Amino acid sequence: MAGLSEIIRNHDVIVCAGSGGVGKTTTAASLAVYAALSGKRTIVMTIDPAKRLANALGVQNLSSGGTAATVEAVGGGRLSAMMLDQKGAWDQLVERHAPSPEVRDKILRNRFYMHLSEAFAGSHEYMAIEQLCELHESGEYDLIVVDTPPTRHALDFLEAPQRLADFLDRSVVKWFVRPYFSASWTTMRFVNRTVGFLFRRLEDATGISALTEVSEFFTSMSGLFENFEDRVRRVYELLRAPTTGFVLIASPEEQVLKEAEYFCQQVGALGMGLRGVVFNRVHREMPGRRGDTTANVLKRLSRGCTLDENMAAALAENFERYEALGRGDGLRMEAFRELLSTDVEVVEVPNFTSDVHNIDGLRAMHEFLCAA
Amino acid sequence: MATRRTSKSLLDRRLHVVVGKGGVGKTTVACALALVGSKLGKKTLLAEVDGAGRAAALLGASPGALGEAKPVRPNLSVMSVEGTSALQEYLEIIVPVKRVLKAVFESRIYRYFVAAAPGLKELMTIGKIWYEAERLDETTGERSWDLVILDAPATGHSLQYLGMPRAAHDVFRAGLVGRESQRLIDLLTDADRTAVSLVTTAEEMPVNETLEMYAKLRDELQMPLGAVFVNRVHRTRLDASHLAALDSCSDGDAKSRDEPLLTEIRDRAREEIGWAAINAHYLERLANEAKLPIVELPFLFAEEFGAAECQQLAALVEAAVVSSARRQRGRA
Repeated sequence: MAGLSEIIRNHDVIVCAGSGGVGKTTTAASLAVYAALSGKRTIVMTIDPAKRLANALGVQNLSSGGTAATVEAVGGGRLSAMMLDQKGAWDQLVERHAPSPEVRDKILRNRFYMHLSEAFAGSHEYMAIEQLCELHESGEYDLIVVDTPPTRHALDFLEAPQRLADFLDRSVVKWFVRPYFSASWTTMRFVNRTVGFLFRRLEDATGISALTEVSEFFTSMSGLFENFEDRVRRVYELLRAPTTGFVLIASPEEQVLKEAEYFCQQVGALGMGLRGVVFNRVHREMPGRRGDTTANVLKRLSRGCTLDENMAAALAENFERYEALGRGDGLRMEAFRELLSTDVEVVEVPNFTSDVHNIDGLRAMHEFLCAA
Repeated sequence: MATRRTSKSLLDRRLHVVVGKGGVGKTTVACALALVGSKLGKKTLLAEVDGAGRAAALLGASPGALGEAKPVRPNLSVMSVEGTSALQEYLEIIVPVKRVLKAVFESRIYRYFVAAAPGLKELMTIGKIWYEAERLDETTGERSWDLVILDAPATGHSLQYLGMPRAAHDVFRAGLVGRESQRLIDLLTDADRTAVSLVTTAEEMPVNETLEMYAKLRDELQMPLGAVFVNRVHRTRLDASHLAALDSCSDGDAKSRDEPLLTEIRDRAREEIGWAAINAHYLERLANEAKLPIVELPFLFAEEFGAAECQQLAALVEAAVVSSARRQRGRA
């Protein structure tokens, strides 16, 4: 068993997915270090690394968001890192796609936009994917490792482009993209009673001036994403390519695994390839344990040394407690494995007692991730 | 300053919002608080946002329909709240004509609007919570709930939820949305009715995020704060002397036969001592930087975390709530 090393060799995009708090960022960074050490020109797109890990990767500066930094310490300059700016994802989208500086400023200054842009669906996720496509098209890297944004559900990341495409659905947006008081709106309200009702309600609810601003916003937005549907199609093509592999990061906890199970099903249904599963923070039961009880072994040992009865009892109790954790984790992981197709590689990383925050720490994970 | 007020003990306020990073046990703490509330004789509602029925499961029950309170124990109901169904419910209240509503719900523009309108789901979710917190029973005229516990989404998203009324109010000052948003802001910032508690583990990333969240809640959202629940804390009576003693035993006949087991015992002891040190370090940081009561909850060594473990934590939370109430009385 070679762990994930085979997957790293055979793919040019690896997407690390999973729910929050399971060590996604660290795992993504560690995989990237491994790839660079094995000779691949590699970049890791990271989202929200712990400060010391960000330092180690040279991306501590928020202003470095969007540009790649070379990690000199690893693999002779073959490793780069990039931190995505979580804030202002929509501002970036607008700046990138606005047909003219005037339109750009008009949108960015719109009151409706300013207050609510953070709430637009899927902007962070979409920006991450757009960045991924750009890096991929640049051809500068043999492997791109993507750390996905913390979403409520791991799947949000994959659905973001489609949701955004729906949001900008021309056939519907066109209702909004005309000056609010224009003749066509008035006509519409008479022709379609439901629409008329809706807009009367909306006017009551929001005040007319606010609605004018909303309408202006959509007017400016139209034309912003001229070939957006085409981009979304290309994004999904990349995500479905046989050279793109998904690695699910999980911890062996009931709630996390429930979510993970759903993710595995959906990734398959979306035609994307789940290649590996990483269990982080695993407690392991002692393998092949038999014979005497812990307490008896310690009792026997304590003859003729400084280990007194109390100490022995405390040590034995602590050990048995961890064995219980290990048993539980083992059972849950085993049940989860049964759901996976046999060609999905599964690896286990133990629950390290220290935070991984430097290159050496990332390398220490390779033993478990890549059996190296 | 309203946020500094500590005139009430932890569960005396009607709305208790529980926030925290993913994976730290936020839902567990919310469940424990709800159990305590119900045991103290309060009619308690535990509302879960986009939670897929986790809270109900932890209380040993199956989830009910979206937006419906499902009784799970005496004095305790759970509810899954989601923006789209909350909006539908809201419209049913303000638009009495069913036939018109049906046409609206079925129209493409409505569906588009609901899916795309920024912040609408968040706003409606908070609106639904407000409705439950303020609601009066139709027959008795009393409050439907003495205590509403909101299990908010993971940190970043909960800021989006809790900040939405303010954003909506700033955009739509006039009109219904502006007025309704103001009522939500009033509730969320009222130290007599509301408290927000943070849940974290005593580790680097969760503590960083908790302190950031703490500052944002206090300064940007100006919400009254409750306590910090520090979950999964390792405390151990093991220390370096145990390891040294164990090492001193490693000679003699028993060694070879027992060596694998001894190695494991030593490794697990190191692991526990290591976690206890990390947890102590970050507990201290929290105590120094967050000016809030800290409720420490132990790491539970269980094969499986279920309803029994939740009850165990609830007992500890209850002790903390009761002692905080006692301190309040002592001061008064």
